[in-house]
Amino acid sequence: MSTIDLRTVTIKPLRHTFTHVAERIGGDKPATRYQEGTFDIQATHNFHYRPTWDPDHEIFDRARTAIVMKDWYAFRDPRQFYYGTYTAARARQQETAESNFAFVESRGLVSALPEAVRHLALELLLPLRHLEWGGNMNNAQICDYGYGTAISQPHIYKAMDHLGIAQYLTRVGLLLADETALDAAKQQWIADPKWQGLRKYVEDSFVLKDWFELFVAHNLVLDGLLYPLVYERIVDDDITMKGGSAIAMLTLFMTEWYGETAKWVDATIKTAAAESPANAQQLSQWTREYLQRGVRAIQPIARHALGANAEAVLGDIEDQFKSRVAKLGLAL
Amino acid sequence: MDMPVAKKKLGLKERYALMTRGLDWQTTYQPMDKVFPFAKYEGIKIHDWDKWEDPFRLTMDAYWKYQAEKEKKLYAIIDAFAQNNGHLGVTDARYVNTLKLFLNGISPLEYMAHRGFAHVGRAFPGVGTRVACLMQSLDEIRHSQTQIHSMSNYNKYYNGMHSFPKMLQRVWYMSVPRSFFDDAVTAGPFEFMIAVGFSFEYVLTNLLFVPFVSGAAYNGDMGAMTFGFSAQSDEARHMTLGLEVIKFVLEQDPDNLPIVQRWIDKWTWRGYRVLTLVAMMMDYMLPKRVMSWKEAWEVYFEQNGGALFKDLARYGIRPPKWLDQIEFDKDHISHQAWSTLYQYGGASNFHTWMPSDEEMDWLSAKYPNTFDKFYRPRFEHWRDEQKKGNRFYNMTLPMLCQTCQIPMIFTEPGDPTQTCYRESTHKGMKYHFCSDGCKEIFDHEPEKYKQSWLPVHQIYQGNCFNPGVDPTAEGFKPLPVVLDYYGVGFGRDNLDFEGSEDQKNFAAWRGAATTNV
Amino acid sequence: MAAVAAVKPYEFEAADRLENFHGNQLLYIGWDQHLMFCAPFCFPLPPAMPFRAFVEQVLPGAFGYHPEFKQIDWSKAEWLASGQPFKPDWDKSLTDNGLAHKAVLRLRTPGLTGIKGSAT
Repeated sequence: MSTIDLRTVTIKPLRHTFTHVAERIGGDKPATRYQEGTFDIQATHNFHYRPTWDPDHEIFDRARTAIVMKDWYAFRDPRQFYYGTYTAARARQQETAESNFAFVESRGLVSALPEAVRHLALELLLPLRHLEWGGNMNNAQICDYGYGTAISQPHIYKAMDHLGIAQYLTRVGLLLADETALDAAKQQWIADPKWQGLRKYVEDSFVLKDWFELFVAHNLVLDGLLYPLVYERIVDDDITMKGGSAIAMLTLFMTEWYGETAKWVDATIKTAAAESPANAQQLSQWTREYLQRGVRAIQPIARHALGANAEAVLGDIEDQFKSRVAKLGLAL
Repeated sequence: MDMPVAKKKLGLKERYALMTRGLDWQTTYQPMDKVFPFAKYEGIKIHDWDKWEDPFRLTMDAYWKYQAEKEKKLYAIIDAFAQNNGHLGVTDARYVNTLKLFLNGISPLEYMAHRGFAHVGRAFPGVGTRVACLMQSLDEIRHSQTQIHSMSNYNKYYNGMHSFPKMLQRVWYMSVPRSFFDDAVTAGPFEFMIAVGFSFEYVLTNLLFVPFVSGAAYNGDMGAMTFGFSAQSDEARHMTLGLEVIKFVLEQDPDNLPIVQRWIDKWTWRGYRVLTLVAMMMDYMLPKRVMSWKEAWEVYFEQNGGALFKDLARYGIRPPKWLDQIEFDKDHISHQAWSTLYQYGGASNFHTWMPSDEEMDWLSAKYPNTFDKFYRPRFEHWRDEQKKGNRFYNMTLPMLCQTCQIPMIFTEPGDPTQTCYRESTHKGMKYHFCSDGCKEIFDHEPEKYKQSWLPVHQIYQGNCFNPGVDPTAEGFKPLPVVLDYYGVGFGRDNLDFEGSEDQKNFAAWRGAATTNV
Repeated sequence: MAAVAAVKPYEFEAADRLENFHGNQLLYIGWDQHLMFCAPFCFPLPPAMPFRAFVEQVLPGAFGYHPEFKQIDWSKAEWLASGQPFKPDWDKSLTDNGLAHKAVLRLRTPGLTGIKGSAT
């Protein structure tokens, strides 16, 4: 067979893609790997048994959320993430993170940090390991209960992103201090009054039954307040100004990740809200509720880190958030 | 928090522990039982999640790096294979039918495994367990997608693969692998781990992957072979997870033993029944054979599995039930299965054929005690009839086993001439089974298996027609409308390989390739 | 029989209950020693169908491909229902023969042993 030069043959394909993909892209034409790896992969009918963990529903069931979609494959990930593109993107980002950690370590930038900055960074960032763990749990939950691969798939990626971020925060802790700092931060997370609002917010989200509500609570609102506050306003602005640019290098992954992920969150909300006035109303109501709770939850952290400037910054963040969701079709 | 002068260098294990352990906390604003509502209802007792030994210590940054490198290499090969018309290099076009079986029956299950591991990962309160499960969830979507992407090119040139998600949910024999996975994901998180993590990924995985991956390699299919090899390092992680789960659960409490033992019995049997399709594939569908099903069973189950169960004996685990029957049946099931798919070849999405003389001789040599006595006469008769233009297409629907959903093709333990019938009565209705194993599984959980979506019964209930079909119309013929519902194109996707479009196209394309040079 | 371990009551109607078959009931039949037919067959039949009609009108379409089908001496045929000896009254209905929904029959034809005596 080695004598056959197969390349010399031009043969006409019988079809260019799978039938179910062709139906979604307007006919039989070449499809992307995102499309072929995503469309209709989740089972929708003829299930054999009801879950012992949820006998009221099918294994995959539209009725697990109040959001109603005619077609759950109306959702598109603007990043076009399937496993291959997802890991490629994160591998590039981790390479940058790796060289940033190496840079900070090799130049002895940690010992050059003003003590107050180092202290604040530890106090602020290390308890967030637990919050990120909560993000891992919640996104795994959405992946589990979500309907249709188009929307469930990005959630396993995001669940693992949160774990990765928790691990980067751990490394920051080990670089700025040692493992006792991790224990101290966990104590703060559990008992320090300034963290209790956030901890309660997250624990309450753990028991939500509606997975789209959980998406709003965690991915839209909590991420949407916390990342701008912590990584943009506190680390990139405040801490950097006080001589802590090394900290900003160590959290660059988070800043970039948030920028990228928020685009997908926005696309998801926009699609669901555009589907029907009922969806838009439900999403708006959830967003209003969680925004109020979320702002209250992050207040003590902002005050601790920013002092007198906190209210102004929080006001900015809230305004920005409101104009962001207004563009997505929500009415707060 | 004073600046440490010289930092202690952390070992890998210690460092990994810091990266994962301790991320969780005891919730107080919401009770733990509400946060983890599925951790206790199966009766498994866990006293200390921290006793979990991390089976592999991979932080996310390392995961992204390694996996992205593997993906890059894999897709480079897939691309080259497609550009070079690699599909024309396979032994012959009959081989492609194994890919149809795989893409329709296995790849969507990889996807189900992805969702299932996401579910159990969320459900387990232990951090180490959660991380390992979620990482496997991520791997499983990889496997599903790399398989779809590898076979995407075949779909362009061959029939039977174009509607795989629909076919998995509708085509009759697909209910065998599908119900297996539906069964696992509808179970509690611990049972899922024993079912998929241990029984399937650890005990039976080699019997699934070696035949397909080596089969691909033997038959010149670099595309499929490459995704198989690329998945192997993931599988190694999954196997260690499966083993760690069982050891952890057994070490936590002696009361767990009988529950786990019953799950091992059940899932080895369920998995073994699904492997009937692999047995058939190995002995009949690979133009160039790797080894016989019987040999594979002996190496990968009897030898390797035997060692495993010897190792687990110290926990009080005994080998799975019904091994004596499996031992007897290894001389039969591949032939029984091929007979089945051959005669119901009008209603499936791939081509079947009768083995050539040479192939029958191979089967005689591999199955000296059974092939010539029981199966050669059947096949030669069918082949003669086919030559006379009377190819056997069985048009009457078969009786299915309520549990494994395979037609009742299996024979009595010890008597290959007698169909094995078992039945139970539950709440006044009869249920039928192919074996003691399937009956016992039903008897333990009748409320579960009475829900089975049995394709034959569903056709008779009128649930397998597209909207608008009127089964009461005069001269109504069910087969064409059922095939329509299945997404199976009559005369293209089904029937005998001899005379198929696949056969003609491959011959023409390969002919062009050999004469062009 | 044990119960399914579940987070709440776990009970459902059987997927194959009689009323789902539009007036028919299921009847299974296998022909012993004739494994050319890989499995017993499943038919949806009116409960009032006479046993004779079942044998004379339904079975030929299912088993007729086998060369021995024409050789069956029906007066010598033996029947089992759920594994127990069964003597059908050919002129009575399935119901009156005691064959309820999902009954299973085995047909035995002594002297006919399949293709070349291989139980095929």
